[in-house]
Amino acid sequence: MRKWFANPRNKRSFIEFLYICPFLALVAIFSYYPLYGWVYAFFDYRPPFPLDIHKFVGLKWFISMVENPVKAKQVLSVLRNTFAMSGLNLFFSWFPMVFAIFLNEINCRWYKKFVQTVTTLPNFISWVLVFSIAYGVFNSTGAVNTILQELGITNEPIMFLQSDRHIWFKMWLWNTWKNAGWAAIMYIAAITGIDGELIEAAKVDGATQRQIIWHIEIPSILPTYFVLVMLQLANFLSNGMEQFYVFENSFNKDTIEVLDLYVYNLAMGAGGYSLSTAISMLKSIVSVVLLSATNLISKKVRGEGFI
Amino acid sequence: MEMKRATSLVLVSAMAAGLLAGCGSGGAQQSGDVSSTAESTASATSEAATQDTTESAATADTQAAAAEKPEVSHDEEMTFEIYDAAANYQGEQTGWFAKVLKDNLNIKVNIIAPQVAGDAVYQTRASSGNLGDIVILDGTQFNDCLSAGLVKDISADIYKYPNLAAYKKQIDVFNESLDGIQKGQIYGIPCQMTDTSPLTYSGTLVYSAPLLRWDRYKEIGEPDIKDLDGLLDALEAIHKAHPKNDKGDPEYPLSLWADWDGGDGMIGIANVVQLTTWYGEKIKGSAILKSDNTFTPLTDKNASYYKMLQFLNHAYQRGLVDPDSGTQDWNSVMTKISNGQIDLMWYNWQRGFWNSLDRLHNGTAYTFIPVDDQTYYTDSDTYFGSGRVWGIGSQVDDEKYQRILDFLDWYASPDGLRFQHDGIKDFNYTVGSDGKLTVINDNALMDNLPVPEEYGGGGYNDGNNQINQWICDAICTDPTTGEPYNKDYWASFLEDQNKGTMEEWSKKFDATDATDWMKKNGKLLVSPNVPYTVKSDDADMSVIRNQVNQSVCDYSWKMVFAKSDKEFDQMWDAMTEELNGFGFETLYQFDCDNYQGQVDAKIEAAKEAQ
Repeated sequence: MRKWFANPRNKRSFIEFLYICPFLALVAIFSYYPLYGWVYAFFDYRPPFPLDIHKFVGLKWFISMVENPVKAKQVLSVLRNTFAMSGLNLFFSWFPMVFAIFLNEINCRWYKKFVQTVTTLPNFISWVLVFSIAYGVFNSTGAVNTILQELGITNEPIMFLQSDRHIWFKMWLWNTWKNAGWAAIMYIAAITGIDGELIEAAKVDGATQRQIIWHIEIPSILPTYFVLVMLQLANFLSNGMEQFYVFENSFNKDTIEVLDLYVYNLAMGAGGYSLSTAISMLKSIVSVVLLSATNLISKKVRGEGFI
Repeated sequence: MEMKRATSLVLVSAMAAGLLAGCGSGGAQQSGDVSSTAESTASATSEAATQDTTESAATADTQAAAAEKPEVSHDEEMTFEIYDAAANYQGEQTGWFAKVLKDNLNIKVNIIAPQVAGDAVYQTRASSGNLGDIVILDGTQFNDCLSAGLVKDISADIYKYPNLAAYKKQIDVFNESLDGIQKGQIYGIPCQMTDTSPLTYSGTLVYSAPLLRWDRYKEIGEPDIKDLDGLLDALEAIHKAHPKNDKGDPEYPLSLWADWDGGDGMIGIANVVQLTTWYGEKIKGSAILKSDNTFTPLTDKNASYYKMLQFLNHAYQRGLVDPDSGTQDWNSVMTKISNGQIDLMWYNWQRGFWNSLDRLHNGTAYTFIPVDDQTYYTDSDTYFGSGRVWGIGSQVDDEKYQRILDFLDWYASPDGLRFQHDGIKDFNYTVGSDGKLTVINDNALMDNLPVPEEYGGGGYNDGNNQINQWICDAICTDPTTGEPYNKDYWASFLEDQNKGTMEEWSKKFDATDATDWMKKNGKLLVSPNVPYTVKSDDADMSVIRNQVNQSVCDYSWKMVFAKSDKEFDQMWDAMTEELNGFGFETLYQFDCDNYQGQVDAKIEAAKEAQ
């Protein structure tokens, strides 16, 4: 042992190992230790009673998800909603990038700052508040209905929040309104990082502004875009629940209930802890598979992975 | 969401005129079942009730003399952690009530409120083995915690404390009803016990009944309302005459809200579940208890859930339902009620948001209007408790244990009860030369009036007792005044209340109040209060119950907004089919078995009374 430490290289690497120890500990505590909770999926667990080996039920909760047509149908519709919402987000994932490019084109400094601030601010509003804004604007006596009725476009108030029409698209709109400005920050940083000489040279060669965007800016920020898309893909099954939780009601539930919300409703509604653990466990596994798959694709297509 | 409900109930219980005190959330309303007609419980007149109470107060005194209360030193300040299923506030008690606790017992209380922190706090604290120094839980959870060893055995000491010993009968009987403990062992003290009787109903208006604005009812010619269609006719007539309120906001005959659904293990829309009591039926989970004491499934088309849901749908089809009903929460409805935008109320405490003394006097207050074919179900006074239970945590040390019992004894004492139910002397009430009390600053709670520094300062509502549960209900008799603690029953208060609206109402219906009318006309079913704790769901059952409830609620809301009777029935059939897929039959059997014991106990109690 002493001999091993005698080698200065070994000694240094040991000391460096000590440096990262606290972080390893943190990862272990906060990322790996919670995995212990997965055992609940294999028991008939009910608080306040501690886990009891007599209540070990094997894969019962996994099977119960699809044990009859009604339940299978419900799980399928939840999956459909999850795929639809994540799919829409993925499909429009170029939106913040384009937004950032256009924002960058604005020459008037104060106006540019103004737009950026206004679009970034919603990111800091919680979904609960977003819903109260939505309720205030779209309820039967809210601003929109009042205007429509004043103008004589409709006689009866339109129940925007109480219908399930175009719900996926509406949810995407809300999400974009809230997040686009925030997501653009990453691209704005990437654009700022583009070598100025490149653009100068293009200008000298007589490139138009459109050509600069198309041939210089977009290719330069494309790697950033790809990494973000890959990460988004890996999170395909997790669209979060807050947004859908606040907008959910009995009328739109069939189309709005995504996986995360389903898990929440099951567990918090009446303590179906075991079943919801089973579902979220499946979700984690699928996410890991998706992440590995996209990484593999990325390696094949771009020649480099992102993890 | 449950939190909002409880908040409103608490606020209103203080405000509502002629209302039986008691924040009737959950337990109280769910515990009752078997119905015995009002005639059979003739002892339930208010006179008899007073006699009852004086008698038990007398027994209490003798017992008090017999028991020797252990001396506890209050020199050291102590903080109790209270796990409180009823609280709407989390953290340390502040303001005037904190000062009361400090001055009387030298304690502070720190409240842990699952209604604020979320139910997960129950799970995490329970698995750590220490829920709190004091626990206030729903009966079923209490029984679970008892089995899991989280609650202390207090048999040896509880009756050394005179104010607790006064309720020995109720406490003994209640503990016998708990699972898995031996006879004579005491673990829990029921919340909101009364000193009346298990068959008495002391309220002046049952929890749910149709309430209309008196001047509007007169305006449409005081019609005799035969049935639900008649009620809709009346509402339609009122709506035609008053499409907007005085401020120009739209007025709605009915306004519903969705955020109370699914609380307290209830299945179905909360609004509909309460309305079923208009036809003498009571929903118990997935089963409906009929007036003949038999069960029928919630999905029965001949039972009251279908009937009341259809009533709401017919109202919708006639354009009488607030279009925002499916998406708004209780707070929005509360605002509308206070604005005078709602024509029909159906909870007795809702009146508190409109019926001020002025409005009672000038005849514009809301009051009960009978519908001929209805019979109203009500639970009797919570003699054996509301269903919630006090317990002491199993991990407290001896010294703290003594101090907690000392605190509980004070909490059940006339001195403590005055603070809990009536507030501060010379701020909330004055004592007359005859010893009777008169309310002053009656808007203290509603307007959060500033409390003078000598009583602790701060806003009155902010400093109000945040434990939000009582060992003794406000209907109990205050031995020093001979009147209940609840100010709504004080002679000084009633005299003022009964002018105007109620005077005219009494003349027309030939009764002193709604309960009186129901009794005289045989329209009241009083379900005896019995100590009974239902078994908790196992893991399978809780999943089934949850999925069934979500499905019933979702379909029900869509059915309220169905365009035609045909569409309504199609949805009902689709719902029934889906419920079977979730295991409704199993759940129904489980609930029937579970509640049969309670029903039997109630039949027994009713027989004994006869």
